Amino acid sequence: MTDDRRDDAPDTSISPPAAPSASGDPSAPGDERRQEGRRVSERKSVAVRRAIRKELADDASSEPDDEYVEYEDETEAVIELDHVSLAFDRPILDDVSLVARKGETICLVGESGTGKSTALKLILRLLVPDEGRVCIQGRDITALNFEEALEARQNMGMVFQSAALFDSMSVFENVAYPLREHTDLGDDEIKQRVREKLEFVDLDPEDVMRKLPSQLSGGMRKRVGIARGMADNPAIMLYDEPTSGLDPLSTGTITRLIMKLQRELDVTSVVVSHDIRSVFRMATRVAVLNERRIAFFGTPEEMAASEDQYLRDFLGGS
Amino acid sequence: MTAFAERLAESSRQKLHSVGEYFSLAGKALRFAFARPFYWQDLIQQMDEIGVKSLGIVLLTGFFTGMVLALQSSVQLATFGATMYIGRLVSASMIRELGPVMAGLMVAGRVGSGIAAQIGSMRVTEQIDALNTLGTDPIKKLVTPRVLAALVMLPILTIINDFVGILGGNLISTLMVGIPTGLYWRTVWEQIASDGFTFRIIPNDFVQGIVKPFVFGGVISITACFYGLNTTGGTEGVGQSTTRTVVLSSILILVLDYFLTQILLSVLGA
Repeated sequence: MTDDRRDDAPDTSISPPAAPSASGDPSAPGDERRQEGRRVSERKSVAVRRAIRKELADDASSEPDDEYVEYEDETEAVIELDHVSLAFDRPILDDVSLVARKGETICLVGESGTGKSTALKLILRLLVPDEGRVCIQGRDITALNFEEALEARQNMGMVFQSAALFDSMSVFENVAYPLREHTDLGDDEIKQRVREKLEFVDLDPEDVMRKLPSQLSGGMRKRVGIARGMADNPAIMLYDEPTSGLDPLSTGTITRLIMKLQRELDVTSVVVSHDIRSVFRMATRVAVLNERRIAFFGTPEEMAASEDQYLRDFLGGS
Repeated sequence: MTAFAERLAESSRQKLHSVGEYFSLAGKALRFAFARPFYWQDLIQQMDEIGVKSLGIVLLTGFFTGMVLALQSSVQLATFGATMYIGRLVSASMIRELGPVMAGLMVAGRVGSGIAAQIGSMRVTEQIDALNTLGTDPIKKLVTPRVLAALVMLPILTIINDFVGILGGNLISTLMVGIPTGLYWRTVWEQIASDGFTFRIIPNDFVQGIVKPFVFGGVISITACFYGLNTTGGTEGVGQSTTRTVVLSSILILVLDYFLTQILLSVLGA
């Protein structure tokens, strides 16, 4: 219905000259040219959309790095949102349920303002739901006090949209921060661990360790953010739009890193993203949030094959 | 009229809520001073930032304040033929009032704004959220070291400010009024001794001069951290937090100075 209205809009704008043409006005050839141009543009648009959907479906089923694993229902549930509702001055999430099993990468997608980042904050226990419960590794974290929540977060790594590196600290100090805070490791062990993590995210430790975050490119900052998030070997990694604002090459690098993390360390991940292409590459399951609720929760192939109009529109329609 | 009353009630409710949060922040910051882990490195860094790096501005303002005080009082005292009492007047003014207030205002401008801008920037660039997600309490990590550093460093800065102010007065009274340095310092001591002692050894003037900057240090650091942590609205919000910090800190310093003087005078009997 909304699409119909949207399609009508350009017609209305050109209707004054079009109306006489219908009644045999001599200006008709110009109108026909415009209409023909629009038909060509629509045909192209449909072709492009079909190509995108086909490519996404290919991405979902091609398993380029052999990282795809079937997740059986009996696998341990690491993250569980159980009928969660939350409202501030307006409702944000309404009866949202979601399960991420061990080693899974769940991608949360949806239009802006649908509560994707809020869901991450609930998992981190930065927010408490009005209704429902959030369980991490079987433990209900809804009722934890502030200190207990801080402790629970030590088992999670978070990568922010802006990387959120501490700009007064060097790259080394940033990555070492969780180790200094929560472990008894000595200086040499911390240095070794920081090197390992920086190498894992394809950065040269010698080159970047002494640099300040302001001296790094956007993609490098995101990679340091991932290294900091995984420094203390958390069981859960959360990403808030990890590829936003990056060029296609850096986007590919970050996507591969998230997949590598899942494959090599068996980390359970939740990724909030607008980048459908990356989502189809890395997700084991995709959750689509629409109007405060989960509109779809399934594998990327199921999503690509879905005939649901909202999902088709979301993926580019056809 | 009803709409106006409702807006007024809502605004008052929000203000009261903010006041509650302000005192809650102060309470937590002080409570965390006695809880592990303790961020020694941050404390030392903040003592350097708040104390050592403010030394220049405090020395400069203190010295010139002392000089102008001596100059003005020499003119007034000359009409009574009492210029020899310049030292008494300069020391009483500097130690009791001008030293703490001037140091407080200078630190509010230099350090308060800096703290608000730094913490505010951390807030809008998600660094505070990052601390939270890394399992660190931002109040413990950011606020407590700054409050403790200000509580320690502001009295020290004030003592230095008092001393260079009296020294500036000495320079003017010797060079321009012709009072010998020995006489000047004797009158300074007479003034300090005349107001009595606490525990028999600590001059009451010094008690006043130390209690005030201690309170001012707390006010400046907590106000700056409060506005910094509550920054919203990107870089513009950081600017607003900085301005609010300097304005509120300065007002609180001047208002509290009056009430502290009233309380200290009645307690010390000076």
